[in-house]
Amino acid sequence: MGIKNRLKTGIQKNLNLRYIKRLLGIIALKPVLYAYGKTFPSASDKYLNIFTIESLKKAYSDNNRPIGYGSLFIPYELFYALGITPFLPEVMAGFTAGLGLAPQTLKEASSHWYSQDLCTFHRSASGAAELDLFPRPDYIITSNLACDAAQKSFYIHSVKHNIEKNYYLIDVPYRYSEGSIRYLTAQIKNICTDICSKTGKKLDISMFEEAFGLSNELRKWAIEVGSLRKNLVDYPPSFNGLNFILPFHGLAGTREAVILYKEIYRDLKKYSDKQHKESLGKKKPAKRILWLHLKPYYRNEIFDILYRENCRVVFEEINHVYWPELDYKKPFESLARKMLSNFLGGSIDKRIDVTLKAAHDYKADGAILFSHWGCRQSNGGARIIKDNLKKINVPTLVLDGDCVDQNNSSQGQVKTRLQGFIEILNS
Amino acid sequence: MYTCGIDVGSVSTEVVILDNKNKIVSYVIALTGSNSKNAAKAAFESSLKKAGLKESEIKSIVATGYGRINIPFANKNITEISCHARGAISLFPDLKTVIDIGGQDSKVIKLEGGNPIDFLMNDKCAAGTGRFLEVMAKALEINLEDFTPIFNRTSDKVDITSTCTVFAESEIVSLIGHGVDKNKIIKGLIYSIADRITTMVERVGLEEPVCMTGGVAKNMGVVRALEEKLGVKLNIPDEPQITGALGAAYLARDLH
Repeated sequence: MGIKNRLKTGIQKNLNLRYIKRLLGIIALKPVLYAYGKTFPSASDKYLNIFTIESLKKAYSDNNRPIGYGSLFIPYELFYALGITPFLPEVMAGFTAGLGLAPQTLKEASSHWYSQDLCTFHRSASGAAELDLFPRPDYIITSNLACDAAQKSFYIHSVKHNIEKNYYLIDVPYRYSEGSIRYLTAQIKNICTDICSKTGKKLDISMFEEAFGLSNELRKWAIEVGSLRKNLVDYPPSFNGLNFILPFHGLAGTREAVILYKEIYRDLKKYSDKQHKESLGKKKPAKRILWLHLKPYYRNEIFDILYRENCRVVFEEINHVYWPELDYKKPFESLARKMLSNFLGGSIDKRIDVTLKAAHDYKADGAILFSHWGCRQSNGGARIIKDNLKKINVPTLVLDGDCVDQNNSSQGQVKTRLQGFIEILNS
Repeated sequence: MYTCGIDVGSVSTEVVILDNKNKIVSYVIALTGSNSKNAAKAAFESSLKKAGLKESEIKSIVATGYGRINIPFANKNITEISCHARGAISLFPDLKTVIDIGGQDSKVIKLEGGNPIDFLMNDKCAAGTGRFLEVMAKALEINLEDFTPIFNRTSDKVDITSTCTVFAESEIVSLIGHGVDKNKIIKGLIYSIADRITTMVERVGLEEPVCMTGGVAKNMGVVRALEEKLGVKLNIPDEPQITGALGAAYLARDLH
């Protein structure tokens, strides 16, 4: 049994916080991480795993308090500037699916009256919280940006841990305007002021300098990666741009995210140069796929099928750099602008514009919108996105499924739809 | 040169052998049962026997349907979307829309220039499929073959509100318990399938000419209800159940 399977089995058999803490402590030891890292197919894959485990270990260690839960669309530079160790329950729900724990966390959530209709990222995270698989939070910062379920399910976490006074909801206006910027800026400033009064830190703009500098560097490298991918003909089989959701959001403002994105760039550049020398023009060009929304995080065949059928995911909308550079001299306003720039908030027109531009820039032959059960913000716009892509001759497959609950879709049906779509692209 | 298409569905397995002049030399429709691999092999052998051919005379075989990946003697597997489209186009060359209702699967395929450009399949629920009708026939203790004459002679219907097969069965049992005329229930059931399929067709976008394939296309009650709901005339193949296998046999020819 390989190391990954041993870990998986170990966690499944010992479902408690103490065991997870102990395990993360062992895994995150530098020699273990680097020895383990050698088994990965690329440097970026290695760093992704190392930094993910290290960030989890920090959140599970009481030495790194205060610990803050954050929802996905929060600017995490805020956490690093305030000295809060972030923990992302939605991302952890993806990990629980990958570890094969989701059936247990979902079952636990059901027994606590979480609705079957609730998105499984939040349902699984809530079940994991009920099972005490997550560290105890000191603060919770969430928002109503794009996702409505986070603010509500996260509030339940605050009640469970008796920290309602440390629960902060950022109300992001629907439209981008200077009035909205002012409204949001004031909220972020108030949150920072309140947290600093609780942590005893003096609120000063200098505390944002390092995190913002690193975030801007991440932004620069993420744009470089995107530019490189526009003309990339082929990809390493191990590359999956949908795996970078934690560094792109939760590690924004850290040195680790910058290192990782530099490595992604180097890996892809190296592969591109090698491809160029060896076989450009000899191989049948791959079909270029634009991926919309997320993917299933449990074991599935989707990406193997795509690769086998000579289709390459050339861009994922979750990797779109939508925000302007941050200015530490205007920290609250900068973060407000970042949040308001998110194309998943507000009118569907913003998402359509991003999708059409990505389809054009990345020369997409087709698009796949993974329609995750219960995700209103994404699924609500599926039809209009499909219609708009059709106007520029890009066929779209709306693939119904579930990112976390493997029992909520049939692998056979997913496979048939996917293969049928590939046959259409090849016809 | 002969080619063969095998459509392994959840309920039935169909085999078509085609000669080089596009003539169907034999076809077989058999129950799939619990072992789809064995069912495919048996149906293939039976079709060879009917055609008076040896296996070595079959140039290539394409498998389709949910059991397509489990046919070791097939040269290639292709989804039922492409196969139904190709089969239907071979029968009605100008088609724009194909509606296929099989045992546990219903799909709508949109065509352009004879090629599929979009499709929609039912989700994991079997409502609106042949299995739905079978379960209801059992609950009503009426032969499925009698549904069409009952549909034709009954003027009124009772709306069946449940889409889930299990809930619809309970609803029917309850209606029978309340003394509702079984004929009206049957008419209501047929319209409930037509409603469900109409929604799927509207999502993909209705364009004429339209063809209906699959075993349920043999039920003229469902065909009429669908024609009424969609407001179009449906083209029905002489043997609608073998359309997927026929398309697979055509696509097997393209392998050379």
